Amino acid sequence: MRGNGPWKMAAGVAAIALLAAGCSGGSSDDDETLPNTISIGIVEPESLIPSNSTEANGSSVLASLFYPLVRFDEQSNPYTVAAEAITHDKANKVWTIRLRSGFTFSNGEPVTVDNYINAWNYGAFGPNAQVASYFFSRIDGYAQMQSVDPDGTGPEKAPEPKATTLTGLRKLNNLTFTVTLSTGFAGWESVMGYDAFYPLPKAAFKSEGVLADNFGDAPIGNGPFKLKGTWQHDSKIVVEKVADFKGTVPKVDGITWKIYQDLGAQYADLVAGNLDVETKIPIESLASASGDLGQRLQKSPSSAFSFVGFPIYEKEYANKDVRRALSMAINREEMTDQIFLGSETPATSFVSPVVAGYRKNSCGQNCEYNPTLAKQIYTAANGPTDIKISYNSDGGHKAWVDAMCNQIKASLGVNCTGSPEPKLADLLKKVRDHKSVGMIRLAWTMDYPLMENYLGPLYTTDGSSNFYGYTNTAFDSLVREGSEAATPQAAIKKWQQAEDILADEMPVLPLRFGQNVYGFSAKVTNVSMDLFQKVDIYKIEVAN
Amino acid sequence: MSESVMPKPGPTEQAPGKPRSLAGDAWHDLRRSKIFWLAAVLIAVILLMAAWPSLFTSADPRDCVLARQHRGPSGAAIFGYDFQGCDVYAKTVYGARYSIVVGVFATLIAGLIGAVFGLAAGFFGGWLDAILSRFIDVMLGIPLLLGAIVLAKRLSADPQSNGVLAVTVTLGLLGWTTAARVLRSSVVAAKNQDYVAAARMLGAGNNRLLFRHILPNSMASYIVVLTILLGINIASEATLSFLGIGLKGNAISWGIAISEATGYVRVAAGPLIWPALFLAATVLAFIMLGDAVRDAFDPKLR
Repeated sequence: MRGNGPWKMAAGVAAIALLAAGCSGGSSDDDETLPNTISIGIVEPESLIPSNSTEANGSSVLASLFYPLVRFDEQSNPYTVAAEAITHDKANKVWTIRLRSGFTFSNGEPVTVDNYINAWNYGAFGPNAQVASYFFSRIDGYAQMQSVDPDGTGPEKAPEPKATTLTGLRKLNNLTFTVTLSTGFAGWESVMGYDAFYPLPKAAFKSEGVLADNFGDAPIGNGPFKLKGTWQHDSKIVVEKVADFKGTVPKVDGITWKIYQDLGAQYADLVAGNLDVETKIPIESLASASGDLGQRLQKSPSSAFSFVGFPIYEKEYANKDVRRALSMAINREEMTDQIFLGSETPATSFVSPVVAGYRKNSCGQNCEYNPTLAKQIYTAANGPTDIKISYNSDGGHKAWVDAMCNQIKASLGVNCTGSPEPKLADLLKKVRDHKSVGMIRLAWTMDYPLMENYLGPLYTTDGSSNFYGYTNTAFDSLVREGSEAATPQAAIKKWQQAEDILADEMPVLPLRFGQNVYGFSAKVTNVSMDLFQKVDIYKIEVAN
Repeated sequence: MSESVMPKPGPTEQAPGKPRSLAGDAWHDLRRSKIFWLAAVLIAVILLMAAWPSLFTSADPRDCVLARQHRGPSGAAIFGYDFQGCDVYAKTVYGARYSIVVGVFATLIAGLIGAVFGLAAGFFGGWLDAILSRFIDVMLGIPLLLGAIVLAKRLSADPQSNGVLAVTVTLGLLGWTTAARVLRSSVVAAKNQDYVAAARMLGAGNNRLLFRHILPNSMASYIVVLTILLGINIASEATLSFLGIGLKGNAISWGIAISEATGYVRVAAGPLIWPALFLAATVLAFIMLGDAVRDAFDPKLR
């Protein structure tokens, strides 16, 4: 938020003053004073029920409590972790998963196939209203577990869905089960790396399909750490090492997830040494951060992709030359350097560099800053003389939208204004109603590390986030063929062909790729962050 | 009513022997006040800036080039450039317009409402006075910022508007109470004067009494209060704009400029300091003018 800089500074000064005055208060049972434990800053998570968590904070905590079927290597390729092997048939439709034996939940229950099937059924069952439910939608029988409320938000209740279990899940024995998808999908193994696919112990359920009341505050997982006490809302979540963990053993004995309301306050704590890791340094502090932290300020790629959508349904933007010219009229590098102080990188492709199949500059000439050519094309295509860029005013977008407008004005000699809407939902509603909103600020964070996740939902004709009305049957079929291809390599080939269509037609204007800009205290070392904005809890350790 | 509401200022050169009117007296005093002239010159400059900003700068405040971000003062831009690479001097000069427009019109609205309440309560007295005065008390109890946040948010629901109308109406609706109280008490004082009683005995009706005798003699303090309110309104506009509920979007205003510069004050202080200085000078000028005028009209207060 704008305008709170001085307060943050004041908070920082106060924190330092308290520290200097010796007000550390350190009681002996304070978790952070234990020798081999660390603290990581987060924002209050939405939920700690795996199938109800889709944001990075809850996901970080869950990653310490649970052990996933697959994790991802540096090239974003999945490798099995809790699973011993994952195989599939030729059509990528039936997937067989064999679990490693000997694993237990932190309460001692052995992990079996039933734990997965019950958890997934719970997540997919419509009336449970789990936010990550859509991850199960590729599994056979998902549709039968949903029901439509006949009168929307009205008094009538939605009828009970026809089924309470996914027909696509079949138990072969205690450690093996199969997943049948409704259509073939080459990337299914990667999808299963997501939080929603964690198993739940018997203790999680009060009765069949009904979660125990306090499970959300005290989840029990199959991971390397277990919860100490319960989730202390708006304060902290403390986890400690599970004895004799069968999987990869982390190097620290415990983690305190400290919950903050404000990134600035978190930064002040980090600099004062009260916090070990801050995963997102606020932009206002970036200028001073390298001085404050030195080598302890680091960057790593993240999956975020920011772009501006063209309202293709509007006549003015229907000509692809207009869209190309606008893309050439902006200087992405200048924007990331000056507005984001290098915390983001210019995007000249439609998929993030973090997924396999990414090609630098796949957008080619259309994403290169070239004001003269841009003006030529724009004039020839008779582009609009008044450009509007709509954005939601609660996300701190004004600065770069204004900068982008200034660049367009300078390059094309047209008028350009930023047009704020209070919330993204308000903006998207206008877009859905095909109101005249001009260009639209949008962003995408991946659900699973596959090129398809950057293509299917955003540009296919019935894509869930295709707000701008782009439709191209050749593109649709290439994405589908990729999903059904026999090998990941074949899939990537198809998807890259699909991306080339985008580069030619420019339904959106790629702008920036996100980065994790994080900092840590002198107490810890080997700090790294993954593509999902999570700290790697297996690598981090306490410095000697 | 065809009569002029305000007493005409007397001619500056009085015929010897003829007594000066109250306004004439005041003008005589004002001419010797250094504070008055300082305020008047400042206000004249700012009004000129609001009306014809191009007299002061040839630069376009919307001509922003990112490459010039936070560049220091130079011959081309004497106050340097801000985060977006806009000329700070040009932005500051152009920012005067909305401040003046909002300040003047909000004060006019407040002045009208205040006049109605003050005159009615003071002149008619009795139960009407009791009701109106209690209502004024209630309105006074609403903290300006709190009320403005609620009102301005409601009034500027349309995200496309630049918020000028919303802020003006908000400040007008919330700012009239002090003025109304001042007018009421001076009306009460004037009502009991002998000349009013004389006029009444000569058969003057309410209208004539009110607008011909009482109002002109209560006006002085009222104008003083409104002049000070004008300064306060300009400051309030900047406050609301700073908080993001006043002027917004593409309006160029001091409040917005200050708000935008706050995050980078450690990197570049100029874009914050200059509009803040102009704002402070403007508010100060109006308040000084109010003070000087009050001193002139009401020698007892000196």
